[in-house]
Amino acid sequence: MLAAASKKQYLFIALLVIAAIVIGFWEPHALIYGIQRGSLYAVIALPLALILGILGVLNLAHGEFLTVGMYATFVLFSRFGVDPMLSTVPVTLLLAVVGVAVYLLTIKHVLKAGHLSQLLITFGISLVISELIKSIYTTQPRGVFTTYSYSSTTLAGIRFGTYEFLYLLIAVAVLVGLQLFLKKTRLGQATFAVGQNPRGASIVGINVSFVYLFVFGLSIAIVGLASVFMVPRVSIFPGAGTPYTMKSFALTAMAGLGNLNGILLAGIALGIFEAVVNAIPGGSGWSDVVFFGVLILVIMTRAIREGRR
Amino acid sequence: MRNKAMLIVAAFVIAAASLPLFAGPYFLSVFNTIFVYMSLALTWDIMLRTGQLSYGTAGLFGLGAYASALLVAKAGLNPLVSIAAGGAFAGLLAFFLGFGVLRLRKIYFSITTLALTTVFSVIIRNLPRLTGGASGTVLPRALFNGDPGKNYWMIYCLALAVIAISVWLSKSKTHYAINAIRNDEITARSSGIDVFKYLLFIFVLTSTIQGVIGAFYAQQYAFVQPEATFSMNFLLLPLAMALVGGVYSTIGPVVGAVLLGLVSEYLKLIMPYGHLIVYGIIIVLVVLFMPQGITRAFAKLFTRKMQVGGVDSASLRD
Amino acid sequence: MPVLETRGLEKRFGGLLAVRDLSFSASRGEILGIIGPNGAGKTTVINLVAGIFPETSGQIYFKGQEINKLSTHERNHLGIARTFQSVRPLDHFTALENVMIGALFGQGMHLAEAREYAYEICDLIGLKNVDRSIDNLTVLDLKKIEIGRALASKPDLLFLDELMAGLNADETAEMIEVVRELQRRQLTIIVVEHIMAVVRELTQRCIVLDGGAIIAEGSYEEVAKQERVIEAYLGKEE
Ligand SMILES: Nc1ncnc2c1ncn2[C@@H]1O[C@H](COP(=O)(O)OP(=O)(O)OP(=O)(O)O)[C@@H](O)[C@H]1O
Ligand SMILES: [Mg+2]
Repeated sequence: MLAAASKKQYLFIALLVIAAIVIGFWEPHALIYGIQRGSLYAVIALPLALILGILGVLNLAHGEFLTVGMYATFVLFSRFGVDPMLSTVPVTLLLAVVGVAVYLLTIKHVLKAGHLSQLLITFGISLVISELIKSIYTTQPRGVFTTYSYSSTTLAGIRFGTYEFLYLLIAVAVLVGLQLFLKKTRLGQATFAVGQNPRGASIVGINVSFVYLFVFGLSIAIVGLASVFMVPRVSIFPGAGTPYTMKSFALTAMAGLGNLNGILLAGIALGIFEAVVNAIPGGSGWSDVVFFGVLILVIMTRAIREGRR
Repeated sequence: MRNKAMLIVAAFVIAAASLPLFAGPYFLSVFNTIFVYMSLALTWDIMLRTGQLSYGTAGLFGLGAYASALLVAKAGLNPLVSIAAGGAFAGLLAFFLGFGVLRLRKIYFSITTLALTTVFSVIIRNLPRLTGGASGTVLPRALFNGDPGKNYWMIYCLALAVIAISVWLSKSKTHYAINAIRNDEITARSSGIDVFKYLLFIFVLTSTIQGVIGAFYAQQYAFVQPEATFSMNFLLLPLAMALVGGVYSTIGPVVGAVLLGLVSEYLKLIMPYGHLIVYGIIIVLVVLFMPQGITRAFAKLFTRKMQVGGVDSASLRD
Repeated sequence: MPVLETRGLEKRFGGLLAVRDLSFSASRGEILGIIGPNGAGKTTVINLVAGIFPETSGQIYFKGQEINKLSTHERNHLGIARTFQSVRPLDHFTALENVMIGALFGQGMHLAEAREYAYEICDLIGLKNVDRSIDNLTVLDLKKIEIGRALASKPDLLFLDELMAGLNADETAEMIEVVRELQRRQLTIIVVEHIMAVVRELTQRCIVLDGGAIIAEGSYEEVAKQERVIEAYLGKEE
């Protein structure tokens, strides 16, 4: 089983590399931009996949936590003149605290209630967060300008932005960090065990409810980390993070539950695909359809493969 | 007891019907909106009775709206006929989509219906020649020339029809089928229930109604535009209303719609930005503390024991 | 012609072959026993015949017709009904309504008809106070609901999956009477059972499964003597 999965993954990597080379010749910007955006998507999708894999909860408020992180970074910048890069630690910590609080107040109480309650409550939370932000900061878009985030370089006659390669760096760092955590630390191994079989884990003495709390806090902290690095490049408004919930789910579904490496691959693949669609004249309006089309397609094929009755 | 209840219902029906005789346009428009959301809340709930949580309410509402608006704007169809056509379009599309999405369960069904809503709106935004693109399409004339009384009567009759459908369903054989499916699909199948057939029936039925309501909405305001027509409000408010009132019932979404509809009017006045937060808080609180909804909590106060059987005793647990 | 016949039936779960090369048949009015240690594949056989999941290979014939491609509800309409090992009553329905489900959808009756029919079935199996919620029912009553729902679909073939498990001696005796009554009505019944006294009491013929394959077949007295059967039980059970 495992061997087959990774074999498929190598095939996918090979295809991805070939596609990347072809696209690199045809439209180098699309390739670069795709890798950058795709990495960002992956950083944001990893924590969603973690919560879904371990707690079994699809967090529909995922993107709103991203928005919270953006506004926190923005406030630190506009009120106190803190450069976004210096906000990394405080915002990540803040989001961890927010995550833990939200978990303790709400998610914790619906873990056993079934998927309907979970879907509804996280949907409610997403609304509370985005409307709260709206009522404090209105819907007016904000931005944080830094010179370094628009730095660019020229390579082989192609001029491109360098800042967003940071996303790839962070994606790899988060991914490797998570893998090391899950394999090498006691808490990580416990987390893995809980993800496999919560009842069994609790029988062998693992504190399952602490694992849940920790995973939720950690995941939201990673979302915070991602938000900080996005801020210099995006416009900040109450719905800024919202689309990332679905995008993250698309990547998770594409990679398959429990396949963290696959999320980075899926992210880059979709990032490139999206950039290519955008590069086609008149295609830019359709890029959302790409994501959702892939999402629907992936879910369907999985359902049809598994669900023959 | 039963007769008394019938009398109360009849009194409500007549009082609501005669509203245009004495209420002003503002009041009428408030109730007009309440009936729009009430109908949507009922359809969302009817789908939920099968155990499938749909986030696609706004999508089919929007499609019905666009179908009807474009038929009037481009083909000169009679507005009333176009409302039926909007429903037919949404229902037909649901029929074909159903062969795919109704294989899905739980979060996969929910998220796919949510994704479909986005896909619909993006497609419509990207067909400017047909749909007017991001700025939408304005119709030459509003339904009944914008007469508030006639519009009120129209949506009132539609809402009554939806209520009647919901009541009829809860007394029909279908009620047993969909309740059984929600309870335990394996048992349902093993007892001879054609699960797909019933899911498809309910999906098409609720989508058609959503399309009709969307079409009415478009004709009433003589306007469709992606942002406004596919607004999440058309999912969110009905969902909150059904939850507050009590899911898996007819009375729940009806009471919830009136209650939240009035509350939201008040909130809009005192909170220009972010008044929807109240809906979010309500959803969270209801799920945590009162999953059976207000109507059942209230009934419990008086009867001490919950009525057994069917939707009336159902909690949110799956 | 046998009511049920399987040929070379196999079911694989990942690396586990839960049912292997299984060929057996049951004829009209017969009570056939399927026995075997835990995990032998008994429930899986029922699930395959009922169409809960697809077989890996092999054929299933019901009343002479191949039913491999039919879905669960279609097989129920043809006349296959079953109870579940761990009872699966439908919450929010009364006991009677649970039984009605079988009549409504297995036979396609109208509501009023189905209600009448369900009352009859409850009478037959001795299920009392049927208009109660199922919240606080005894194990015996829950098991009767299982049988009732299955019977209400008017099957030709009825699977009873460990019906007696969890019942005391009196209750078991009551259940045995119920099953006997069903046999008198010419139903073909396949019982999966761990309690050997029940198997001896009820069945004319048994097949013994171990590791998904048939290791013995014959009357209870015949198979119980066989060394392989004794080994299979002693090897796996404490
Ligand atoms: N849906 C499934 N997925 C994976 N494995 C399964 C599934 N159903 C059954 N199995 C496995 O198949 C084997 C046979 O199981 P089955 O339930 O048929 O045994 P059984 O004979 O009914 O046992 P028992 O007497 O305990 O009820 C077991 O090893 C079981 O773990
Ligand atoms: Mg078994």
